[in-house]
Amino acid sequence: MTCALEVHNIVKTFGPVRAVDGLSFAVARGTIFGLLGPNGAGKSTTLKILTTLSRPTSGTASVLGFDVVKRPLDVRQRIVSIIQETAVDLLLSVRDNLLTFARFHQVDTRTAQRRAAQVMECFRFTAEAERKVQDLSGGFRRRVQVAKAFMVETPVLFLDEFSTGMDPLLKREVMALLRNEAHRGRTIVLTTQILSEAEELCQDILIIDHGRQVARGDLSALKLLAKEVYEVSMTFDQVPESIESELQTVPTLRARVENNTLEVAFKAPDGQVLEVVTALARNRRVLRLEVNGASLEDVFLELTQEEVKS
Amino acid sequence: MTAINAMVYREAKIRATNLVFIFWDVFYPLGYMLVFGVGVNAALGSPLVGEGVDYNAFFLASVLGMASFGIASNTSWSFFLDRDNGIFFEMLTYPLSRSAYMLGKVLFTLLVSLVQTLITVALATVLFHIHLRWDRMPLLLSVMIVGTAGWFFLYAIFALSTRRNDIFNTVTSILYFVLLFASNLFYPLEPLPKWFRAAALANPITWQIDCLRWATIGVGNAQVVAMESIAFIVFAAASFLYAARCLQRQQ
Repeated sequence: MTCALEVHNIVKTFGPVRAVDGLSFAVARGTIFGLLGPNGAGKSTTLKILTTLSRPTSGTASVLGFDVVKRPLDVRQRIVSIIQETAVDLLLSVRDNLLTFARFHQVDTRTAQRRAAQVMECFRFTAEAERKVQDLSGGFRRRVQVAKAFMVETPVLFLDEFSTGMDPLLKREVMALLRNEAHRGRTIVLTTQILSEAEELCQDILIIDHGRQVARGDLSALKLLAKEVYEVSMTFDQVPESIESELQTVPTLRARVENNTLEVAFKAPDGQVLEVVTALARNRRVLRLEVNGASLEDVFLELTQEEVKS
Repeated sequence: MTAINAMVYREAKIRATNLVFIFWDVFYPLGYMLVFGVGVNAALGSPLVGEGVDYNAFFLASVLGMASFGIASNTSWSFFLDRDNGIFFEMLTYPLSRSAYMLGKVLFTLLVSLVQTLITVALATVLFHIHLRWDRMPLLLSVMIVGTAGWFFLYAIFALSTRRNDIFNTVTSILYFVLLFASNLFYPLEPLPKWFRAAALANPITWQIDCLRWATIGVGNAQVVAMESIAFIVFAAASFLYAARCLQRQQ
């Protein structure tokens, strides 16, 4: 069986800038695939190539076996792409936005109307169904845009920063919907800067930076790449004034103090983590202490910072 | 064909559910006809110098030409609307080719143009008692179709080449002013200075208006009209090819 996506050594240059620099990967059907990377890493450019918006300078890419350059229409018939920028017909009502989108994908009128009713209920804008989108808030517009993806049943779905402007409750519901779509066999490709989203959703993750692959695998495989990284959360009765200078002696990946709680991620050889924690807690009243292994955010930071250093 | 249908449906939905668009698309050029019909026709008297018809009859082709030019300008602005709404690039990932995207827009524009033609012709007959050449009605509709498409593609070039709405509006305003006034749209060319006539004869608006005048009231030289028709078709085809190229370059 062919993969949902196959990318071979694609390069995309803009003048002297290599936005994508020899990227290769494949994505199995029915998986939720996360494409992660810092700003300017080449995520959106890669997505633009896969959704036929942009042509690669060299290399090949295919969606469900159809080459994105040679067979763009065949690719478009099998995908939905929700781009990063809010994209809706402002002068149409919410319902007409959904119905018009379905018409492009050749969904018959009756089915489209039934689905529109379901989607509007799910995304909680039934009351706004007949309002023009230009009269709705930015967050609402984004919801209408994302809702369109559920109007059709294309086998591949691309989502670029899908949760922008969504409240936490709706975000959770959309994430559940996405998991459900993947269970039904739909391949979902998403980019996000919110790593907890990727951690919760993605079965397969590719981290890129400067247009190149930095790491690839499922969550547990990626966490192994940062096996000596720990996250410590420590709540004091009062944050010590010297904490910042003390942290300078620890190889921190990130550190944050908020409401008397210190959250720090650092790299320490096995066995030495307790020494660091003990040093930070010595002669202080600690109300709560939590030590965890690396999160995806830690892996991401470590790998992309290493890339910067190199 | 389904993709083009969807595109036409979308354009129609957007414009038919917004009163401002209906005014600009359908009623605005009729305003010209009524104002000129009552005012200028009375002021100039008839028959109009050199044409042997009154100003109302002379101006009918001009109203149709303005409708064609104006509708093309209004609907080509929808490229900007799509871009400002962010949906332009998302639509390029919909299951339609880029040429279908463009053809859908132009087909809708042509439909509006044909509706406008029928309303204008009906009003001209009923209100101003203009004697139309009904036998040339198919030619009139063809001229409106080719004319509107040509102007649409010309505007599409500017809409797709410039990223800024204010630049586009400036360009279209200048085009509107220069092309409409440096032509035979408002006045016959014969009494005008030689340099002005030369400029007007090189203006595609003049070609279209000559064809429209010949098709509506029978005024004009058949050979000249035939040559101008060919010139306009070449202009429309060139505009289409360049507009298509501009659309292909979008990424």
